[in-house]
Amino acid sequence: MHDFLRYTVLGLVVGSGYAVAASGLVVTYQTSGIFNFAHGAIGMFMAFVYWKIHVDMGVPTLLALALVLLVLAPLLGALIERTMMRSLYGASTGAALVVTVGLMLTLLGAAYSFWPQGTARILPEFFAGSQFKLFGLVITYHQATVVVVAALVALFLRLLFYRTRIGTAMRAVVDDPELLAMNGANPKRVGQASWALGASLASLAGILLAPLVNLEVLILTLLVLNCLAAAMLGRLKSLPLTFLGAILVALGENYIVGYGPGNVGSYRGALPSIFLLLVLLFLPQARLKSGRLVGARAPRVPTLRQSVISAGVFVVVGMLLSGQMSRSDLATYGGGLAVGLIMLSLVLLTGYGGQVSLCQLTFAGIGAFVMGRYFTGGSMLGLVVVAIVAGLAGFLVSLPALRLQGLYLALTTFAVGRGVDLLFFSNSHVFGYGGQLAVPRVKLPGLSFQGDRAFFILLLVTFAGAGVLLLALRRGPFGRQLAAQSDSEAACATLGLSLVATKAIVFALSASIAGVAGALYGGLRGGVTQNDFLVLVSLAVALSVYVGGINTVTGALIGGVFFAVLPTIGAHFPKLAQTQYLGTGMAAALIGRFPNGIVGLISNGVDRARRQFAGAGIHERAMEVDGLAAPAS
Amino acid sequence: MPLLQVDEVSVRFGGVMANQGVNLHADAGRITGLIGPNGAGKTTMFNVITGLQDPTEGRVLVDDKDVTALKPHKRARLGLARTFQRLEVFGSLSARDNVLVAAEIRKRWARDGSDPKAVAEEVLERVGITHVAGERVDAMPTGMARLVELARALAARPRLLLLDEPGSGLDESETEAFGGLLLDLAREGLGMLLVEHDVDLVMRVCDLIFVLDFGRIIAVGTPTEIQHNPDVQAAYLGAEDPDDADHAAEELTHS
Ligand SMILES: Nc1ncnc2c1ncn2[C@@H]1O[C@H](COP(=O)(O)OP(=O)(O)OP(=O)(O)O)[C@@H](O)[C@H]1O
Ligand SMILES: [Mg+2]
Repeated sequence: MHDFLRYTVLGLVVGSGYAVAASGLVVTYQTSGIFNFAHGAIGMFMAFVYWKIHVDMGVPTLLALALVLLVLAPLLGALIERTMMRSLYGASTGAALVVTVGLMLTLLGAAYSFWPQGTARILPEFFAGSQFKLFGLVITYHQATVVVVAALVALFLRLLFYRTRIGTAMRAVVDDPELLAMNGANPKRVGQASWALGASLASLAGILLAPLVNLEVLILTLLVLNCLAAAMLGRLKSLPLTFLGAILVALGENYIVGYGPGNVGSYRGALPSIFLLLVLLFLPQARLKSGRLVGARAPRVPTLRQSVISAGVFVVVGMLLSGQMSRSDLATYGGGLAVGLIMLSLVLLTGYGGQVSLCQLTFAGIGAFVMGRYFTGGSMLGLVVVAIVAGLAGFLVSLPALRLQGLYLALTTFAVGRGVDLLFFSNSHVFGYGGQLAVPRVKLPGLSFQGDRAFFILLLVTFAGAGVLLLALRRGPFGRQLAAQSDSEAACATLGLSLVATKAIVFALSASIAGVAGALYGGLRGGVTQNDFLVLVSLAVALSVYVGGINTVTGALIGGVFFAVLPTIGAHFPKLAQTQYLGTGMAAALIGRFPNGIVGLISNGVDRARRQFAGAGIHERAMEVDGLAAPAS
Repeated sequence: MPLLQVDEVSVRFGGVMANQGVNLHADAGRITGLIGPNGAGKTTMFNVITGLQDPTEGRVLVDDKDVTALKPHKRARLGLARTFQRLEVFGSLSARDNVLVAAEIRKRWARDGSDPKAVAEEVLERVGITHVAGERVDAMPTGMARLVELARALAARPRLLLLDEPGSGLDESETEAFGGLLLDLAREGLGMLLVEHDVDLVMRVCDLIFVLDFGRIIAVGTPTEIQHNPDVQAAYLGAEDPDDADHAAEELTHS
């Protein structure tokens, strides 16, 4: 009983911290319509800044707090709004997510660079050492402070939204920005205020929670998942329900620690994911999305002839180049092709279908697992089974969120990815902590791909073939339907199309491709570990394909190479930790401005050049950006 | 038995009653008008009928069957199709592909062995947009894009077509031709529910007109009856003032 009380009190305390953070998430989402994936990362970063100012430089508590919470955090929030978010109003779910995820990875990389791991940093509790007893339980002043602060934040937000002009304007903005503008308030100003407030709340939560959960980059960054789970209870809208959700999540975590089975850490970490999935099941059906998106213009699709020729050229050039490559080059670029194949699965899902998955590597991991565990001989049948299993997994993941708005599906995939990391991949029967699972290279009758160059060529051919197939799909009825669906769900539904069915099919198909790519990636490497498929790396993959160009096959290729080459570039800059995160994060944060990525930039440039050179009477042929261009050498 | 029947439908948005106890019906082979001032609740009514908006109260019946709980795509399969006031075209596709997609979707659920390509060409021809069929729709002027939406809806081979201000963006001669097309379609048995601000067009083509004002049906009748209904004249200019009403009458009767 005493234990139960203890876990309950701990849950309430930590839950209060989550509630502060989650309320900030809801405030920014409500007023700007953008889900801030970097919310936890902002809290993390500012907690470190607070540590720097307070602990490292010795600035007194109150002054340091004021500096961080009232000056630096709001500035950061406003700056983020001004530089990145403003170009996103009206953008697709995918583009908006990519930008905030990019911000998250950027902050992650920056924090690792400024505050390298390996040194223990401790953020002291408030009123450290002071405590009191309640019902025979020792409660520290810090714990009490967290609860009191959360209550004050709740009160503050209530007053803000219902008693002040700016607060009323904030409530109005998401419902109807035009209406708001008519009433004299400036939606941009209001949006900026809400990002400033959100960043402040994130920082406050970070500073309150760091002494309880550790001043650690990843832990604090991933708190966004706890916030998300909490906010989902209030459908990303209701603050009271969000507070309740935060308390429930934290209570659940603490009871698991208290009464859970052996592998407590994993279950505890996976709890927000499970909570989120449960909540999703009870959310009512969303209204259909209507209204046009701004930003990405879909490029023209090349004909079968054009795509086959480009694919042929690509394979031949790749083969020639591979003759000059060292073993490590073959590994790097081969990895780029395998990841490029995963990115193709995202071109199908996101570029064509308008849905977002943030856990594509989870499906790749499942593919590698199935191949490595059950088809050690490397038979082709293995790849077929991999495709089926990964496809089924994708289908299952998509089910709870399909009837909801696209954002919910994206958020679900992140939760699922994190859950699978913790509960499945880290399991000793799968890859195991630090363990490696050998994955065979496929064999065809009479053909061996044991040699590195041979396997590289197999990857070339696979990528090219998949690209041609994807483009064929795009040109056919299914591709048209996907384009139609991502342009207007409402129109599709009123023509008799079951949106849920199509979405589930694309999601499964895309997961299937990712699974096969994962098995091939495993074969390339010879083996895989759980670190290859972490959901954070999935984020980097999703961002990279956006950087390359989300709606073209060429974009996936560029994205794959970008992803594979970044770490090798990073090796030249030892000061920068996690170049993968920094590089992809920063590049992706610009997607709001360049929605079609590098491919879009190139095709715009080519267009402009053509217009300049083409004389008036010359018939302009349509630009084909989607050909399988040969890799730049 | 009417093809479509709306039974005591109310829709509340917060404090606003967009529809209030609305009853109306539409029949095959007839053009039924639904008119009313801005904000009267016409688009909301369309959304309720097609399943994009759940009514707060009331029922929607198709062939006397209650469809209020059916999802939009199920209702479409009963033969409802619509166009949108705020365009919902497939902007990244050509006009031809917009129509083709609709025909393909229809083929899938109807399993009628039709040839979507042939259907698409026929409908494009019918609506008179074959000459721009290759252009991307998001680059088209609004009036043209509305015709694409009409063609797309027709490609689903509906029994009842709901048109939400299809005439806006068309010039005089285009409107003329458009009215002729609607009458032809009706003659072939298609039922239509028409929301339109162009009073001339409404009066010319409709068999029966329902008038909405502040969410309520304030009048039902033939075009002639509606033209001479004082309530309608008052509502149309939002004023009780007799001068205004005269003015409205003038406008309604096409001075
Ligand atoms: N989704 C919504 N949320 C809140 N209010 C809405 C919503 N849709 C419509 N309304 C309100 O309901 C009322 C009816 O709107 P509706 O669009 O149905 O009118 P309408 O007759 O189509 O007008 P118009 O002729 O301008 O197209 C208006 O007051 C409108 O502001
Ligand atoms: Mg309307």
